Amino acid sequence: MIEVKDAVKVYKEGKIRAVDGLNLSIKKGEIYALIGANGSGKTTTVNMVTGALAPTSGRITVLGVDMPQHRHDISRRIGVAPQEYSLYSDLTLEQNARFFARLYGIGSQDFERRFAELNEILRLKGRERSLVSNLSGGMKRRASIECALLHEPEAVFFDEATVGIDPVLRAFLWDYFRTLRSSGLTILLTSHVMDEAGKADRIGLMRAGKLVDEGEPGSLMAKHNVRSVEEVFLKLSEKELGDA
Amino acid sequence: MRRGNQFSIRRSTAVARRVLAQIRRDRRTVGMLVAMPAVVMLIFGFALSGQVSHVPIAVDNQDNGYHAALGGKNVSLQIGNQVLAALQANDAVSVVGGNYSTGKAGVDSGEYFAAVLIPSNFSQTALTMARGGNVTPAIQLYMDGTKPSITTEVLAVLQSSVQNASGIKGFRLVQQYAYGGVKFSGLDVSLPSVTAFVLTFLLLLISLLTVSRETTSGTLPRLYTTPLTAVERLVGYTFALLVVSIMMVVVVMAIGIGLFGAVVRGNLALLFAAAISYALTQVLLAVFLSNFARNEFQAVQLAPLIALPSMALSGMLVPIYSLPGWIQPVARVIPMYYANQLFEGIMLKGYGVSALSLDFLAVVAMAAIFLALAFSTVKDRMDE
Repeated sequence: MIEVKDAVKVYKEGKIRAVDGLNLSIKKGEIYALIGANGSGKTTTVNMVTGALAPTSGRITVLGVDMPQHRHDISRRIGVAPQEYSLYSDLTLEQNARFFARLYGIGSQDFERRFAELNEILRLKGRERSLVSNLSGGMKRRASIECALLHEPEAVFFDEATVGIDPVLRAFLWDYFRTLRSSGLTILLTSHVMDEAGKADRIGLMRAGKLVDEGEPGSLMAKHNVRSVEEVFLKLSEKELGDA
Repeated sequence: MRRGNQFSIRRSTAVARRVLAQIRRDRRTVGMLVAMPAVVMLIFGFALSGQVSHVPIAVDNQDNGYHAALGGKNVSLQIGNQVLAALQANDAVSVVGGNYSTGKAGVDSGEYFAAVLIPSNFSQTALTMARGGNVTPAIQLYMDGTKPSITTEVLAVLQSSVQNASGIKGFRLVQQYAYGGVKFSGLDVSLPSVTAFVLTFLLLLISLLTVSRETTSGTLPRLYTTPLTAVERLVGYTFALLVVSIMMVVVVMAIGIGLFGAVVRGNLALLFAAAISYALTQVLLAVFLSNFARNEFQAVQLAPLIALPSMALSGMLVPIYSLPGWIQPVARVIPMYYANQLFEGIMLKGYGVSALSLDFLAVVAMAAIFLALAFSTVKDRMDE
């Protein structure tokens, strides 16, 4: 479904190696969480996988298609909620959603149905006519997720999907992600909140552009003999600092 | 007294230092801060340094001269030739020979600014007047009345040439104005180029701001992941800005014509079509330029950087033929030059499509070039 082979991304300015030889393989219907501290290369990875950014070297395929070269072949089949809300703050929630629906070729009737359905699920009902600038941070995050799901994609990419969302809603969103997964949707999300990533099917721990470990949360905790994903991450970081 | 509320120069200085640090961080802005005033000053300096010069005029010298025996001496006079030589020696005008009716047609088509006829009996009449005869020699003049400053200059050059060449005073200039014989007011002659300038400056500004907002709002990376292609996005901006342009053209025309009573001798629909065509070039130029602006601040600076030199070089302030020779080819690639030609042609000269076809073609070609440049430079992915 999503394959990343030896991906490297070097930004020209400053020659920063944001991603440094990354390998990922994500199966259909899986929730995969990329976790790591800020600056570890998660967002760059999402940008490369979604076709917004070209890797310096390596190969990335999504739904069997090379990215970013053939991104337009599958852009209707993927949904993206970037780290920044990426919504038009001077438009209403409905205007934003309608704009993205049009880009994905959703007809007016389908849009009405899908928009109402998602507003219900994401608890945005009643805010359709609110300007995005007047929505709270959590609402903007959900609105961004809504715009990524309108066209019923096969794979979605949520960059820091649950940042700024209160714990109750965050738990609810995770339930919703599992519901989506059970209907066959593949989810790649990033988070710097280690513990919530423990709810994913598999997690990949990133540090300095590299994947330092990967696996099911339970297996990883057992392997490193700790009781939380955060402790796994800390342990791996200590090890790396020690090696250095 | 609460000290916290007292004015603190340190806090103000902190703000000033922060603002300067932000400006310094943006290399393009620093470049613009130096380049913009320098470019604008240089262009205005060059454009305005020269006086009115090389105004093209067609002179038909039909003067037969006068030959007579006066006091036992043979006197031969050829004042027409002397006037022609004086005009040819004057840099203010650029003299072309030919017959008067061709010259008049040249004025009508914009090739010449004036056509001059020195009649066959000019020398004879001048001499008759000098000998006390009740006649006054006359020169016929057919002029473009759309540029009062040049009209004044040409009249002065003619007066001085005749007087210096022949010594005769009190000759008559029989003036006739082209384009329906109207002597236009200052407002009439200014409105076409003011309209062109308003459309140039405001459309560039609004278009650059509108397009660059996508970059600063952070929505662009998301668009890169949707089915929207870069070309579709640019076409979308262009459509929206064309609607804005139409609104702006309507406002400019309504005020110019409705409130200030601007003369429109030609077809109003053609004027509207010309304004929209020109607006499209400005929109496409802005769409192209916004591919290089990383933020709204950079984008905003581009509008005056283009609009002010356009003002100086498009013939709005100084006619093209009076600009230094090496600048003239530059002036002819400035879109606003063609907007001036179109607006002036339709509003003051009453030209139709056929007379303006080359100007229309130039505007459309420039729009096509800007479109091609915009398409070829647009980014379909994030900056690296």
